[in-house]
Amino acid sequence: MRSPFAYTPRSGPLQAASPGAAVAYLGALVAVAFLYSNPIVLAATGLAAVLAGRLAGAGAAVRGALWMGLTLALLIVAVNAFVVGRGDTVLVRWGDLPWLSDIVTAEAIAAGAVLGLRAAVVMVVFAVYSACVDPDRVLRALRPLAGRSALTATLVSRLVPVAAADAARLRDAARLRGPAAAPVGKAPLARRLLAGSLDRAVDVAATLELRGYSLEAPRRSPGATFSGSRRTKRRFTRGVRGRRSRYDRRFYAIGLAVLAVAIAGKALGADGFSEYPATQIGADGSTLVVAAMVALSGLAPLRRRPRRARSAPASSRTASNSLPAGGGI
Amino acid sequence: MPDLVTPTHTTPALALTGVTYAYPTASGAALHDVSLNLACGEFALLAGRSASGKSTLLRAACGLVPHFHGGEIEGRIEVAGIDAIAAGPGELAAVVGYVAQDPETQVVSTTVSAEIELPLEMRGDPPASRARAVEEVALALAIPHLLDRAVDTLSGGELQRVALAAALVTRPRLVLLDEPTSQLDPVAGDELIWLLRRLNEEWGVTILLAEHRLERCLAAADRVITMSPGSVAFDGNPRDFLTWAQDSDTALETPAARLFSLVGIEPLPVGVRAARHTLAAPSSVERGGTDPLRTIFPFSSSGSRRQQPHVPPKKAREEGVRPPSPTALEVRDLWIELARDDTYRDVLRGIDLSVEGGERVALMGRNGAGKSTLLRTAAGLLNPVRGKLEAQHGIALLTQNPSDYLVRERVGDELAGEEGLAVLRVVGLEQAVDADPRDLSGGERQRLALAIALAGRMNGDALPGLVALDEPTRGMDRARKDDLVGLISDLAERGAGLLVATHDVEFAAAFAERVVLLGDGVVIADGPAREILSGGWYFATEVARVLDRPGVITPEQGAGALRQWSSEQR
Repeated sequence: MRSPFAYTPRSGPLQAASPGAAVAYLGALVAVAFLYSNPIVLAATGLAAVLAGRLAGAGAAVRGALWMGLTLALLIVAVNAFVVGRGDTVLVRWGDLPWLSDIVTAEAIAAGAVLGLRAAVVMVVFAVYSACVDPDRVLRALRPLAGRSALTATLVSRLVPVAAADAARLRDAARLRGPAAAPVGKAPLARRLLAGSLDRAVDVAATLELRGYSLEAPRRSPGATFSGSRRTKRRFTRGVRGRRSRYDRRFYAIGLAVLAVAIAGKALGADGFSEYPATQIGADGSTLVVAAMVALSGLAPLRRRPRRARSAPASSRTASNSLPAGGGI
Repeated sequence: MPDLVTPTHTTPALALTGVTYAYPTASGAALHDVSLNLACGEFALLAGRSASGKSTLLRAACGLVPHFHGGEIEGRIEVAGIDAIAAGPGELAAVVGYVAQDPETQVVSTTVSAEIELPLEMRGDPPASRARAVEEVALALAIPHLLDRAVDTLSGGELQRVALAAALVTRPRLVLLDEPTSQLDPVAGDELIWLLRRLNEEWGVTILLAEHRLERCLAAADRVITMSPGSVAFDGNPRDFLTWAQDSDTALETPAARLFSLVGIEPLPVGVRAARHTLAAPSSVERGGTDPLRTIFPFSSSGSRRQQPHVPPKKAREEGVRPPSPTALEVRDLWIELARDDTYRDVLRGIDLSVEGGERVALMGRNGAGKSTLLRTAAGLLNPVRGKLEAQHGIALLTQNPSDYLVRERVGDELAGEEGLAVLRVVGLEQAVDADPRDLSGGERQRLALAIALAGRMNGDALPGLVALDEPTRGMDRARKDDLVGLISDLAERGAGLLVATHDVEFAAAFAERVVLLGDGVVIADGPAREILSGGWYFATEVARVLDRPGVITPEQGAGALRQWSSEQR
């Protein structure tokens, strides 16, 4: 079974966008999560990530990331509560314990919750990235900049699903062993998987050799090529599959806007939050404006319905986005 | 006036001169003094038993040997005029495409379009020309609908086509294929072979194809090169190859050629069409006295089929030689649902099936029909969403890759104690207790894996009720298949029901007494092997397609029928 975080080609705007545009948009959300500690803004960022994932069709990835993120958040809350002994509101006092604080405070729990929320938000954003951004296009963009790193990344990105499939098969074979056959523990299974993965790596590397990966990386940008005379050398022509998406501008603009609003808000004091000695959460106008703007940015992957032509007659308007009668395009 | 034939077309697509090669840790040479020339536009078939050097020859032709695998090499290899020993596989990629046996390790990208585009990108082709080449090769291979799919959602057959597309997209002059049909059902396998023939005829691509199932591709080939451990044993046209195989290595004979050999008809046929033509020709009349196909084996067999009463499988079994046996597997209204991408689909839809102890059943059908799913469910690896499945006396399942069962470095450590030794005796491996499983041959590894699955499920010498094998003949030559048929017969005689999922119709004809044909999750045919394997176009043996006679599926049966006709004529 495929991992919900694996990239699945879909026709949504986020998937169609170039890797740069998608990274600009999702990166802006990650930047907000690291810039801000205010839980209202963090929650809004999380909401934006969830919305973006759902609208991009990556609901399963979002659910998986939320599950893992909230589990991690609970762990962070527990660790922070037991280790940090600061804060005015003491909930439990249990005396001296090695490595642990002698008190549990409401402020430590709140601070842990904010850290956990940030971790969960970042995980959701990465889950959306993983499920919606084509790794081949990312690697293609990276290849002229860092050929060897891109080769390693290609090998790893291919070997991960192959190793996962091998592991599933080995587990099945272990279950199918007769009761009198020597039992297979985790260590022999892991050893066998490792040995198999090395063989697989050799096969994948051989395929890369055959595809010409060992040749010098193309000097030109792989997404574009020069055309025309010397004077027009900076004009590009693009291939059908490599061309820029019509959604690129939207994601660049929204990513930039989110970043600008976040920085301006930070400068204007929208990140009002203090953990100790007493928890204080700023909820003034600037905080709410930043939170609202960031949350709304989650609608970026929304697909716009095509507008009807104003001047065309009614009969042709209704048929403007239909296929021709014969089905040809 | 300049010569219209460009120098590139007079240069051989592949030329080997005195090539001797040994892998780094091997004690002997994998290739020994191999010399051959492959002209542009030839379609050559590379035949030979397992471990005869076919794959090594292909790797040498694409530069993986010695550049990737290391080892010592002597002699000269030229691919389209390029010195393959001096140049690496990357440089050869412009003129040669290579498709290996296992498609899963031949894809390196996430999506199909990126995978096909990669070689062009590496070559530095501009995007517009890459887009056009991808589109055209996808159209040629009938896979445009796959272009936007993720590679890890494709079936084996689809992956094989994608790997072929990635090999063809640079329009290489030479394409090397290592058993490309081993994972394909008969329909997809035939389609692939004829697609290669079309590429060869229309694009002038030179093809060198290594295959074990020669009956599938001999008719498409112009030339056969036969390897016999490490060297070229035969090099000539398909008809001469059959004569050579008849005298020198009968394991390489095709079923139709074997039928003709048994009866003494010449020339040996390279395919079904040639066989039917020979049997119907006047020369055949002279030898046999009259036209056999027009008398006993009419071309239009609908009349003769109507004369054969349809025997339901249950009744056929009751009329068989075996006394009633306990039921090994009972399946009633079985539904299995599996996830694919974000959706769930019913892979098995209301299957009813019963297998008796001692019965040998072949489970056949297209890729994705649900064969493996049925076996995995029977073994308890999948849970049905509806229906009942009972294997009262236990089940031992051997999955497609026997190496998955081998995790230790000594056979005796996999199967310890008296019970282990007993099961090793059943599969004939009691002498190999101290061997490393990796040193065993492919067939021995398969037997060991089967022994591991059987261990502890035997009651004394009694086997589990059902022994199931999933695609056990992948990459096997005929000699190893014959060994496997012997093992299956032995297990059935000991009382186990045998349920074997296979795409290999000739193998099914050799071992099975009953065939269950699955189509898109439902049983579409269930009956005696002789009836099922002689009653169709794709799921029919070569002999059945030649003679088109109900119940005649193996060369021996065909020869018997022809001899009977001959004696009746006298």
